Amino acid sequence: MPMVSLKDIVPAATNTINTQFILLDKGNVGQDGMETTCLSLAADETASVHFQLWGDECRAFEPGDIIRLTSGIFSYHKNCLVLRAGRKGKAEKVGEFGMLFVETPNMSEIKWARDPTNPRKFVQEAVLSSHSKIFPPLPY
Amino acid sequence: MTTSDLLRICAHDAENPTDSSLREAFSSLHARLKPPFPLTIPSPSEYSQLNQALIYGVLTEPHLAKVHLTHLHAFVTDGYNLFTTTLINLSNESYPKLLQTPRSQLLWISSKLIQVAAVKVETLIISLLRQIRGGDFSEPNLWLCSMLISILVDSWDWLLEEPLAIQCSLFVFLRLLSDHYRLVGRVDLDKLKRMEIEFCIRVLRKNFALCLGIGRDLIRLLQDLVFVPEFKDVWSDLLFYPEKFGVPDFMDISRLYRTRTPSHFFFLTITPEMETQLRFLLTHVKWGNQKRYQAWFAKKHFCTPESETVIVDIVRFICSAHHPSNKIIQSNVISRWAIIGWLLNCCRKNYLLANVKLALFYDWLFFDEKMDNIMNIEPAMLLMVNSMNQYVDITRTLLEFLFLLVDNYDVQRRELILKGVSASFSLLVKKGVVHSLDSLISCDLLSPALREKLASLISSPKLSSIKRLLETCGQQIEVSSTKKCRVEFGR
Repeated sequence: MPMVSLKDIVPAATNTINTQFILLDKGNVGQDGMETTCLSLAADETASVHFQLWGDECRAFEPGDIIRLTSGIFSYHKNCLVLRAGRKGKAEKVGEFGMLFVETPNMSEIKWARDPTNPRKFVQEAVLSSHSKIFPPLPY
Repeated sequence: MTTSDLLRICAHDAENPTDSSLREAFSSLHARLKPPFPLTIPSPSEYSQLNQALIYGVLTEPHLAKVHLTHLHAFVTDGYNLFTTTLINLSNESYPKLLQTPRSQLLWISSKLIQVAAVKVETLIISLLRQIRGGDFSEPNLWLCSMLISILVDSWDWLLEEPLAIQCSLFVFLRLLSDHYRLVGRVDLDKLKRMEIEFCIRVLRKNFALCLGIGRDLIRLLQDLVFVPEFKDVWSDLLFYPEKFGVPDFMDISRLYRTRTPSHFFFLTITPEMETQLRFLLTHVKWGNQKRYQAWFAKKHFCTPESETVIVDIVRFICSAHHPSNKIIQSNVISRWAIIGWLLNCCRKNYLLANVKLALFYDWLFFDEKMDNIMNIEPAMLLMVNSMNQYVDITRTLLEFLFLLVDNYDVQRRELILKGVSASFSLLVKKGVVHSLDSLISCDLLSPALREKLASLISSPKLSSIKRLLETCGQQIEVSSTKKCRVEFGR
């Protein structure tokens, strides 16, 4: 499967996303049933997105880490649109620091609607926020 | 998750290509690594595989290391070039991740490679010297210092034949001594300190001609050791009896002042990882995007108060060894002066701040257009000029510090320093790094006394003639690097 840029990811119920990004920020570690979770802000040179860390990923990844995601999924999880490895995918640290990024657009802050011509697909309907509302940009 | 006997691999770390290629070579040749060794001559690809396998064996099997070494001696045909080169790459790329056993083994095999005068072994030693972190008093870091100083002391005869290795070792251990000497009440450090002192004094006394090649930063490093009793005589001789060093060329300390320190010395006191990150920041990151990178860098490299001493080394590296191309200077990439402004702000101790400012201005003091590079003095100038509007305190403290240096750095050689600073201002205006110094001289936020000092310094004949020339030609010097960007020095 080819690598995609974050600006090109579209919500779908399949584990088909291969991409690489840098982790910008991490939220608090929480509990989701039996599993620990942690929401993070990830970005590449084209866009940012909310990346959901699961289990030991929460401790393994720190801001500044460059992560390669294989067979990831971008979908709604408890009403939040997040990218994550999911059961079938894999997130691996491949480096640190040396990657450029932009924080806008944030793919999780976009309102998506069913494509009228193909109801199995999503298209962008509106931008809810230019940047992440959960992880606001650092003051200039 | 793969496990490795070589590197510390955490959950969710991607496979390390060097680790896997060494491990694969080792497992595929494992049966052949025991005596009796075959007498057949290996093909080039077998030769390379065998080198890799033996590296993995030496580093991960201490109990069999001597057998592997005998094996290596038996088949090597390239002066150990491939073996040593592979170790150099491993050290540069992965030393921080090496487990303790491979680290010990790496130091052991390095000393063995010195004994056989392996090709590039001096580069291997220098790459290991770079892995010592300034301002780091942790056990693994002090262990590395001890191991390397012991190897150097034991390999004195070899070292005498390796001018670069001797210069680099002196540079590194003088720098480390300033750290180690400051740490009082650590009995466990006494032996290390004594070895470092004896080594440095020995090099200075027996090989001073080579030491001259280090240039002016040798003095900057020795200055931090002025209170170490063993260095008092060295200082006294440098200042009053230069002939005692037995180098006909060396009649006065100004000989060192006038020698610009070659840029390769400034790589020695920052780790390869720091270098990569700083170069990325100063080559790719645009204005306004630097904040997160700065935070990551500080979290990683300045995590303890002591570790901030490395800021001095970083500032010398940025001024003297990282010179961006014109294309980058004209682009929207963050400038060196802004990164230095941030670094100044990271210093929480006053003595450290003074050392950082000295590092920033050091090439100004002895600047000579014929010998020196304008890129070494550019960051300080731009930092002063660009801070005037919003951060005039920075401009003021830097300018005050510069005049303090002119008056006090070396009272006996004040004229030389005055000439250097005046030449710096003059060239920075002549080359258009700044339009003119009028904005500084007429800045109301600076004290009249300070502005007067500046005005009198630059009214030396040379600079006023340039100004007159420009006025008559009616030329407008284009501002090349002064960016009209908002500067943020906060963390």
